[in-house]
Amino acid sequence: MEQLNIAAEEIRHICPNADFKLVLMNNHEDNIIIRNGQIEKMMHASATSLAMNLLIEGRDGFFYTNNLTPAALKAFIHNAIETTRLLEPDEARTLADPSRYYKGDGADLQNFDATLSAIDPSKKLRLAKQNNQEGMQLSPDLISFQTHYTDRQHQAYYLISNGFQGFEQSSRCTLTSIATAESEDGQHPADGWGETRIFLKDMPSEGIARVAIDRTLRKIGSRPASSGQYRMILESPIVGSFLQPILNAMNGQYLHGKMSFLAGKLHQQILSPLVSIVDDPLIPGTRGACYFDYDGVATQRRSLFSKGVLETFFIDTVYANKLGIPPTTQGIHHLVMQCGSKTLQQLIAQADNTIMVTDFNGGNCDPSTGNFSYGIEGFLIQNGVIVQPVSGMNITGNILDVWQRVSDLGNDIDPWETELLPSIVFEDVSFGGL
Amino acid sequence: MQNDISTSKTEHFSLTEKELHSILSTALSRGGEYADIYLEDTRISSLELQDETVSQAQQVMLYGAGIRVVQGTQTGYAYTMDISPKAMHQAARFASSVPSTSAPIEIPALKPTPLLTQEVPMLEPVVSKSILLTINKRAHEISPLVVRVKANIAQRMQNIKFICSDGTGFSDHRPRTTLFISIVVQKDGKTQMGFGSRMYQRGAEFITPELIEELLQETVRQALFLFDAKQIAGGEMPVVLAAGSSGILMHEAIGHAFEADFIRTGESIFTGKLGQQICDKGITIVDDGTLPYDAGMLRYDDEGIPGQRTVLVDKGILNSYLHDRISASHFGVQSTGNGRRESFRHMPLPRMRSTYMCAGDATEEDIIHSVKRGIYAQTFTNGQVQIGAGDFTFFMKNGWLIEDGRLTTPLRDMNIIGNGPQVLQHISMVGNNLRIDHSAGMCGKGGQRVGVSQGLPTVLVDKLVVG
Repeated sequence: MEQLNIAAEEIRHICPNADFKLVLMNNHEDNIIIRNGQIEKMMHASATSLAMNLLIEGRDGFFYTNNLTPAALKAFIHNAIETTRLLEPDEARTLADPSRYYKGDGADLQNFDATLSAIDPSKKLRLAKQNNQEGMQLSPDLISFQTHYTDRQHQAYYLISNGFQGFEQSSRCTLTSIATAESEDGQHPADGWGETRIFLKDMPSEGIARVAIDRTLRKIGSRPASSGQYRMILESPIVGSFLQPILNAMNGQYLHGKMSFLAGKLHQQILSPLVSIVDDPLIPGTRGACYFDYDGVATQRRSLFSKGVLETFFIDTVYANKLGIPPTTQGIHHLVMQCGSKTLQQLIAQADNTIMVTDFNGGNCDPSTGNFSYGIEGFLIQNGVIVQPVSGMNITGNILDVWQRVSDLGNDIDPWETELLPSIVFEDVSFGGL
Repeated sequence: MQNDISTSKTEHFSLTEKELHSILSTALSRGGEYADIYLEDTRISSLELQDETVSQAQQVMLYGAGIRVVQGTQTGYAYTMDISPKAMHQAARFASSVPSTSAPIEIPALKPTPLLTQEVPMLEPVVSKSILLTINKRAHEISPLVVRVKANIAQRMQNIKFICSDGTGFSDHRPRTTLFISIVVQKDGKTQMGFGSRMYQRGAEFITPELIEELLQETVRQALFLFDAKQIAGGEMPVVLAAGSSGILMHEAIGHAFEADFIRTGESIFTGKLGQQICDKGITIVDDGTLPYDAGMLRYDDEGIPGQRTVLVDKGILNSYLHDRISASHFGVQSTGNGRRESFRHMPLPRMRSTYMCAGDATEEDIIHSVKRGIYAQTFTNGQVQIGAGDFTFFMKNGWLIEDGRLTTPLRDMNIIGNGPQVLQHISMVGNNLRIDHSAGMCGKGGQRVGVSQGLPTVLVDKLVVG
């Protein structure tokens, strides 16, 4: 906090007419990698840094430093002010209206493990070793079995010159297994599985390795299937990637830049009526939970899509000014999609002429049209049974057209993710292969 | 280690050789074969033009040190933003926590670190601003269909000092300047975008009026091309990869799988193939850290190994992998100088530099004429590969349909999908027109991004999946 006050005083002293946003961040991280029973990497880091937005009569500069000695900080601010003054004014660049700031009366969001950085590293090492041993015992013939443990504590103090002071904190720890096998034809299929928690005490000590190995072994022998129209089951962990182009197109920056295929579509039905998604950052004990965004603006539960109808755009203060519309929020924090009733296994059992996509491998979606092409891998399903792993294929189409053809939803969300999205069934998707 | 320019100390770090020696001793106090310290003081500045004005600036200052202890293939690492002796010793103690059975080694007296280059002045913001306004004006002049211009000049000056437990080290200034332009064009209610960039490890002197004109023409031409371009039904077909940005194939589909950490763990599809014929004798592939000003150029890598040119595939035979100190020690070979890291916050990994295929003797015309029906892939915007399987996907922004040996229909937004080793085996013609792509190329691996470049002459791949 001392550095925050030094910075604020220095700005006020040199440039009294400057507005500013200061964010002082403290982060602690631990990383452990174990491969085939042997520790490969152990890393520990603590870092403090300062991010600063300066606004001088519409001139907007962003500055970041981790050299926070008083002398370095003062030199940094002098230089920042000098640089910002060189810019041309942009009247849209203002701080948020103070009436929108979070007022600081919320209860604990229960999203911070205060003990994480103080826990003896040997305890984290034991957890990682246990996972690695489990994997080695389950499948000793693997080329490689890797365990990756990582955790992060984040705390940030905010000071905004037109009347906001705030503090936010979060933590996460992740335990991931990655298995690499060898097939008879010399291929090296690899896949993994990970679990993330806010509190280390909630991390499962068993089971992750088995999922990673199963996911790898089932890929052996993958090859492209024939090109054509298939039903597509998109597995829950990658649904977010397929939703991302739509979330991007809802952003004020894309709308203002004439690069959004959603321009003019607010309040229109653009997705299947089965799709309802909210952003709810106010649920205690969930990842992404927060009371205010990077601008200090209070967050709220917000419907993004209700039965396929687009209900909002992501408009921050600057783009609200540029577009001449009211501001909403900067973006998403904790997405929750309304689920269906079936498990993934039930979705597979009712599938025919279907490809279940389990991962993307490159590709693009044109932000101005929504036309996309993504490399994929997954499994061909016939008569409710997985008959072949597939790879070397792609899917093409228009992202809105495909999202209008949602025909079923799973119930398999992971409550520990920041995006709670189930597996989804899409009809008539174009697959390119042989 | 040779003293290339002088032995004068950089002014960025106040620690003495005696203090650094003491910190290395702490790092190796519980055993370990090797330790190093990487001190960094980096400034990044950028100015951006959008909405017709230069109204945004960014500056980032990074300052700190990373300390590493290596025992076999095990690494302990810690970094600190406080480079006082007390904080450095604390970080060294954490880095030393990797289990070790070896006795502490004797660290020789540290030699003065040679300074490899002189510092390059950063562009004054007022000059950057003037260049950006020129770019904006000229973009609108080139085509009235240009409705939006975004341009950015970014400069990074990385000042580093490296010292390791064999007593050697170096100091270096590593400038990097990037010019990025994107434009939006509109016609008949339709919108298209074009991108262009250049990135070099030098000051901004390469941003000449001629370079600006070349880049703008290229960017506008690319965007206007897309109005008439189509997507065609996918399938397996011959693909001619144009010289230049198609070199992403070298990087993604081949280069990553040659990185020796993936070989050491057995994950790479090229594991165990050293000395084997893996493709036609007409193919030679190189990873080069010696190209002047190139984004992947290294006077010394981030482990103190001299920059060098490494032949990966020599006339079709797998000649070498890309090694850092750890993999080189594991395989009992010399490091190829590929140990790179994004910053002091990261430990080094085997990474590419400038990866390219050497020129053959066919002309581009001959290659295109040889194709009955296929794709001429001209510009790629990104790519991804799965190291183990070797499967890759590259996104082709624009290209042409080839029919009866002629370019007939402009194409856009299609994926090229294949498998690295198989593609190498299916390259049947190599052009005489090698071109290194100096676009702003950043390669991501293990959460780290480093600058790279890539290159390719025009080549014919007999079959690839296009979709």
